[in-house]
Amino acid sequence: MNTSLGKLWDTWGITAILLLLLAVAPVVTPDFFSLDNAQSVLRESAYLGIVAAGMTFAIASGAFDLSVGGQLALCSVVSLMGYAAGGTALAVAAALATGLACGLVNAGLITRLRVPPFVATLGTLFVFRGVAYILTQDGPKTLPYDQIGSPFVKIGGLNVAGLPLPFVIMLAVYGGAWVLLRRTATGRRVLAYGSSPEAARFCGISATRLRFFVFALVGLSVGIAALTYITRVWTADGSAQDGFELKVIAAVVLGGTSLKGGKGTLIGTFSAVLLVSVLNDMLVSQGVPSAYQRIVLGGVLIVALTIDGLRTRFAAPGSLRRAVTGQGGRTPRPGLAR
Amino acid sequence: MADTGTPALLRVDGLTVEFPGVRALDGVHFDVAAGEVHALVGENGAGKSTLLKVLGGLHRPSAGAVTLDGAAYRPRRPADAVHAGIAVIYQEFNLYPDLTVAENVFSGREPVHPLTRGIRYAEINRRAAELFAVLGVAIDPTAPVSSLTVSEQQLVEIAKALSVDGRIIVMDEPTAALSADEVTRLLDVVRRLRAEGRSVIYVSHRLDEVFAVADRVTVLRDGRHVRTVPLAETSTDELVRWMVGRDVEALFPRGDAVAGDVVLELDRVSAGRQLREVSLTVRAGEIVGIGGVAGAGQPELSQVVFGALPVTGGRMLLGGAPYRPDGPADAMRAGIGFLHEDRKAAGILPDLSVRDNLTVSVLDKVRGALGRLLSPAAESGVFATYRDRLAVRATGPDQLIGQLSGGNQQKVLFGRALAPGGRLLILNEPTRGVDIGAKVEIHQLINEITAEGAGVIMISSDLPELLGISDRVYVLAGGRVAGHLTGADRTEENVMTCASTGRRIFSPEPVS
Ligand SMILES: Nc1ncnc2c1ncn2[C@@H]1O[C@H](COP(=O)(O)OP(=O)(O)OP(=O)(O)O)[C@@H](O)[C@H]1O
Ligand SMILES: [Mg+2]
Repeated sequence: MNTSLGKLWDTWGITAILLLLLAVAPVVTPDFFSLDNAQSVLRESAYLGIVAAGMTFAIASGAFDLSVGGQLALCSVVSLMGYAAGGTALAVAAALATGLACGLVNAGLITRLRVPPFVATLGTLFVFRGVAYILTQDGPKTLPYDQIGSPFVKIGGLNVAGLPLPFVIMLAVYGGAWVLLRRTATGRRVLAYGSSPEAARFCGISATRLRFFVFALVGLSVGIAALTYITRVWTADGSAQDGFELKVIAAVVLGGTSLKGGKGTLIGTFSAVLLVSVLNDMLVSQGVPSAYQRIVLGGVLIVALTIDGLRTRFAAPGSLRRAVTGQGGRTPRPGLAR
Repeated sequence: MADTGTPALLRVDGLTVEFPGVRALDGVHFDVAAGEVHALVGENGAGKSTLLKVLGGLHRPSAGAVTLDGAAYRPRRPADAVHAGIAVIYQEFNLYPDLTVAENVFSGREPVHPLTRGIRYAEINRRAAELFAVLGVAIDPTAPVSSLTVSEQQLVEIAKALSVDGRIIVMDEPTAALSADEVTRLLDVVRRLRAEGRSVIYVSHRLDEVFAVADRVTVLRDGRHVRTVPLAETSTDELVRWMVGRDVEALFPRGDAVAGDVVLELDRVSAGRQLREVSLTVRAGEIVGIGGVAGAGQPELSQVVFGALPVTGGRMLLGGAPYRPDGPADAMRAGIGFLHEDRKAAGILPDLSVRDNLTVSVLDKVRGALGRLLSPAAESGVFATYRDRLAVRATGPDQLIGQLSGGNQQKVLFGRALAPGGRLLILNEPTRGVDIGAKVEIHQLINEITAEGAGVIMISSDLPELLGISDRVYVLAGGRVAGHLTGADRTEENVMTCASTGRRIFSPEPVS
């Protein structure tokens, strides 16, 4: 495949598929574009989408955050406890602070103890969930029904000009994230570090500061997402959103962000999140059991990655290395600084 | 098919290779006889590496034909080239850092035990050692590649190609990272290959090597064939004119430097076992050269000053004040620019565009009207400045740096080091892989920044360059300063003596 076409596919491929899916959606689900259904699809996509925006930075920097599922459960639980203790303001503050704290814990483990991000966040996934379980030993934290009129509950339920507020928040998050990644020095450093940590070091990019920034950002995104999540489902305990981290990573990868780091596309992530939500909605409306829904999501992911693998295999720069070494997908980093 | 009397073993006709936005080769013809050393020269981006990659089975031409021994040769993958007896040493290394030297040399072709299918380590280690003996270097076949210097990595690549036992050996800038001694031995190896009846295609920007070893030379310019002549019938000046299309100004332009205050002072600085009690000074407006054989501590010295390697003893002063950088970011804030010697592993950011690769060192200065936000216009402006000045050949600011030719990548990285414009610039092998015109331009840029009052530390394994452009030269040996040469003492003999015999030569300090 030719490189400029490949570039186009990188940024817009998944968006094109999304549009295609939207075109056939009304055929499968006649009332797909009804206000109710459309609103519910967008509302459902918000918490996944907001965390996927943060995760795009982590993956672009060459790292994973596997702990976001645990973070979401913990943020939700703590936020509900905050609401019970001090109302809306405390609930919002608690969610954001908990997310931020989780991110700082991750970054601290990675930089101070020199644990690889994959391992560190796999560990904290269990820790954060564990803490959420302990906090809900007496039963899940819930929003009482009599709170239906409170401003907090409105976060999940309100519509702004026909758009669900969670989706509006998600749009704002993506706008901010795009500016951060594409138009700030910090965003550029994230991409530089993901592309080559060693070269980035000699450009004056501090690995420690970068890790703290990226993981704090992911934590913050989980904090925001938790607000849209609990005000939607009204209850949380340690088991909330089991397997969430893999859904998030799947969406980011589906969007075209390279697992090797150095590249990140928020437009792609955004489209992939909507794609997953639309697909889910179609399956649900067809009465497909949830077990099969997982299989479909897995299949979509594999197909997307195969296309991506084929593309990078034949795009010019990498092909030399792979061809010379006779290796398939995984390649070594040839040459090394001393 | 041997001995049919046809002189050309390999023939290339009307070869055209296209990339999006560039025609890297445009109807090139070229031929090599058995037992011939045929040099290929041209500016950065002329298409030399592209031609070799076609021969190696990495690129497929959009037009043209290659014949090998009278039969059509259309390699579809690297293994086809090896099978046809063509071994290629590529410009960019392709080594597995975590495997041993011997494993890398025989990678994909390891002799295995007939029953267990296990690699015969004793055999590959022995054969690798034999290859290094031929090259006259002491590299441990069992060492991991990650522990090697850049020049040692280059030698491993050379050994890899020699181990194939091909009838055509293709070498793309094999000496760019080698020291003078290693170059001499490599040229001997090339002559021996020719004596054995093998053919060698030799790419280099160092024309003295071309004259020393090649029978004929082909000049490429802008992807087109310019001339093929026997070297006996041409001269350096003529080759340069064909390559560049004009006369190149004298090499090593250096006006009279006016040394100012001391910018940097090292007082018995040590770093582990790599660097021992090194003392030196760099003054404003001065180019201070660092010489020595590979592995004598030059990169370590540069990294200590840049804060990339911790100091374990002694002290540094920057502008008269104590200087203890906590990482390269600190050093950059203190006004120090840096160019790494390992372009591929510690230089380029492969997923980023040429513009982003250049401006990564000046992200604080390419902000737009909104204050904190990067300004694409300002970034493109910085890129345009260096593209014009250094004649960087790219389709545009958005091209990925990995798609540039090796020499053009080097120019971008040089621009990156220069762009912040601080008070001290540390340059490791600044002209590695760049063509003759760009080399003069880089030297002129170095002169300009010293004229503006910056001090420069320059490390180069290219001895004529080191002596030609430096005002003073420190020679390192075994991590220690073994010599300090100024004025008329700056000779190749003196550098060699200090670097390799253990004798120490210290010119008297100039009284300022
Ligand atoms: N994978 C690629 N994608 C796009 N353009 C490419 C690619 N590889 C090479 N080019 C372009 O082809 C041209 C020729 O490059 P090539 O590497 O052959 O030059 P070269 O003569 O080897 O130069 P150097 O002396 O710097 O190594 C350059 O303009 C380069 O940018
Ligand atoms: Mg080249």
